[in-house]
Amino acid sequence: MSDALEAEETFLDRYPAEAKVVRSAFLGSFLALTLGAIFGIIQTLHRTGIFRGLIDSSDYYTVLTAHGVFLVISFTVFFLVGLFTWAVVRSLDRPLVNIKITWTWYLLMAGGMTMTGISILAGLTDAIDMSADVLYTFYAPLQAHPLFYTGLAVFIVGSWLAGADWFRTWLAWREDNPGERIPLQTFMVLTTMIMWYIASSAVAASVLIFLLPWSLGLIESVNPTLTRTLFWFFGHPVVYFWLMPAYLLWYTVLPSIAGGRLFSDPLARVVFVLFLLLSTPVGIHHQYLDPGIAEGFKFISMTNTMFLLLPSLLTAFTVVASVEYGARQRGGTGVFGWLRSLPWRDPAFTGMMLAGLMFAAGGFSGMVNAGMNINYMIHNTIWVPGHFHLTVGTAVALTFMAATYWLWPQITNKPVYSRQIGLFQVVLWFIGMALMSNAMHAQGLLGVPRRTAEPEYSGFEYPVAFGGFEELNVQIAIGGTLLFLSTVLFIGNLVLTMGNPRVSGLAETIRPALSGPDDAPKVLDDLRIWVGIAVTLVVLAYALPLAAIINDGGLLGPGVGTYPVWIDTAVGALAEVAVPAAWSLVDALAFVGARLLEAAASGVMA
Amino acid sequence: MSRTETAGASVDDASGDEEFDPVGTLALIAVYFAILLIAWVYIYFIEFLGRDLVVVG
Repeated sequence: MSDALEAEETFLDRYPAEAKVVRSAFLGSFLALTLGAIFGIIQTLHRTGIFRGLIDSSDYYTVLTAHGVFLVISFTVFFLVGLFTWAVVRSLDRPLVNIKITWTWYLLMAGGMTMTGISILAGLTDAIDMSADVLYTFYAPLQAHPLFYTGLAVFIVGSWLAGADWFRTWLAWREDNPGERIPLQTFMVLTTMIMWYIASSAVAASVLIFLLPWSLGLIESVNPTLTRTLFWFFGHPVVYFWLMPAYLLWYTVLPSIAGGRLFSDPLARVVFVLFLLLSTPVGIHHQYLDPGIAEGFKFISMTNTMFLLLPSLLTAFTVVASVEYGARQRGGTGVFGWLRSLPWRDPAFTGMMLAGLMFAAGGFSGMVNAGMNINYMIHNTIWVPGHFHLTVGTAVALTFMAATYWLWPQITNKPVYSRQIGLFQVVLWFIGMALMSNAMHAQGLLGVPRRTAEPEYSGFEYPVAFGGFEELNVQIAIGGTLLFLSTVLFIGNLVLTMGNPRVSGLAETIRPALSGPDDAPKVLDDLRIWVGIAVTLVVLAYALPLAAIINDGGLLGPGVGTYPVWIDTAVGALAEVAVPAAWSLVDALAFVGARLLEAAASGVMA
Repeated sequence: MSRTETAGASVDDASGDEEFDPVGTLALIAVYFAILLIAWVYIYFIEFLGRDLVVVG
């Protein structure tokens, strides 16, 4: 299909049924964004002590769980499924095989997330005996209502079906186009989904085998280290699951918005293959301070993590070079002067560029997190949320919002209500996050803990380094407020856009790469090889640690109670007496045994 | 026929025939690495000089 023809038709014109799916997914995503932002501003003002009147500190975990789950599971993944549907259909230039299956996975995901959401929000009221204050990292010993886990399981199964839907569409395309290279956007979707299948298998196992039966009371206890490890098996690749749609946009959409072309299609493929290979065998780097995992395994995980910097640095090069090409096309000159020739008034462009810039800063703090020794300095401090608000909270979220300004007209034929508000909104997000994240990092260095409703302590002062604790609190609160305002502007602009009449002539073109797929080695498209290597790396990184964890703590654990902790005093007292008594008995038996052996030995000698 | 990626670069670009050399990108990445190096040195002051030794236990 030629560029000229494409320019006449939007995605909606060409694929109305698929456009409806994409729209529905985006709307689900933005609903989650709205809820997440509300809980975000509540918690920002609460923990900084600016306003503690809205919730009790005892409800802080409920708010934190809602903020985390709605934003990093619901907002991101719903946007991803919408974007990936668009990307597969657009780049293969064919409709999905069976739209009923598409709606099935959408409804499964929406239903699952609704169940999970209800179980979390119920924690805010005493009227319903239900809560799921387990945070986004829902491992034991924190325990949620069974509805939370059931909803998550349904949601994940829905996402698996979505992947199968895209694979099926690709296979159908391949039959009609034998020997052709996989179009880049579809290649990105497929590699990301393979990574997701590998990663989410662990969390599905954790939920279905351990957490759900435990929360239903079918099993007494679980091995907390095991559920933690299975969570982080999924918990690190999931950050790339958030990030890969942003990368897809940076690689394929951003260069065209800048008036350029993707610099290198082969490099883009290499990057996605590297993420498929390296995203999963690194999860233990979230557990550097966990007892029960040998240092050697942590070291292997750290090495893999450092390799993972490579595809991100490749991306920095490729994306910036593609944008630079656009700037040169627009008449830009000089070593830095070309930056002035870029379309900075376009909210989609500026938003994505600022997101990329924040991601570069996130790389700095990420390297600190990833280093085993300096991780100890910031582990479990508010530095860590500071870091991931740069990555998922800006690189991903801001890219999604910016891309919406470009993509929404393509799937609705409605022009954006106000591009000026859009531009203001993305810049406001950048400023708000710069303030908030910077202060969070600085507080983390002072040792201020994360996930704490009232992080100040009586009789203890945080050491003063770059501005005191209180000053940084104010910075966090201002930043958080700007972020909330930015979200309100985004949602408001979108709602007003929905009121616009449909028009024609909104079609945008994605231009082919400077160095196209024909320059890429064919082996890159052989997905079976990459699946094989990815699984091998995962087995190498995880088989021994998991075996050791199960060996040390048992498959169902040594018996860890739930939170709130039940201390049965009678059992406690009994254990206090029984355990030393049992040990004395063992000692006595050993003594007698040794004597018997000695006697027998002397008898033999005699 | 799929869209976008199968065609090579067409000559409708202003400098379509010329070899594109991303010097601006190289310059920006050099700045990034310079910041990285400075931050690396800076962390020494935070980690080792900014606070006293902590002995646990």
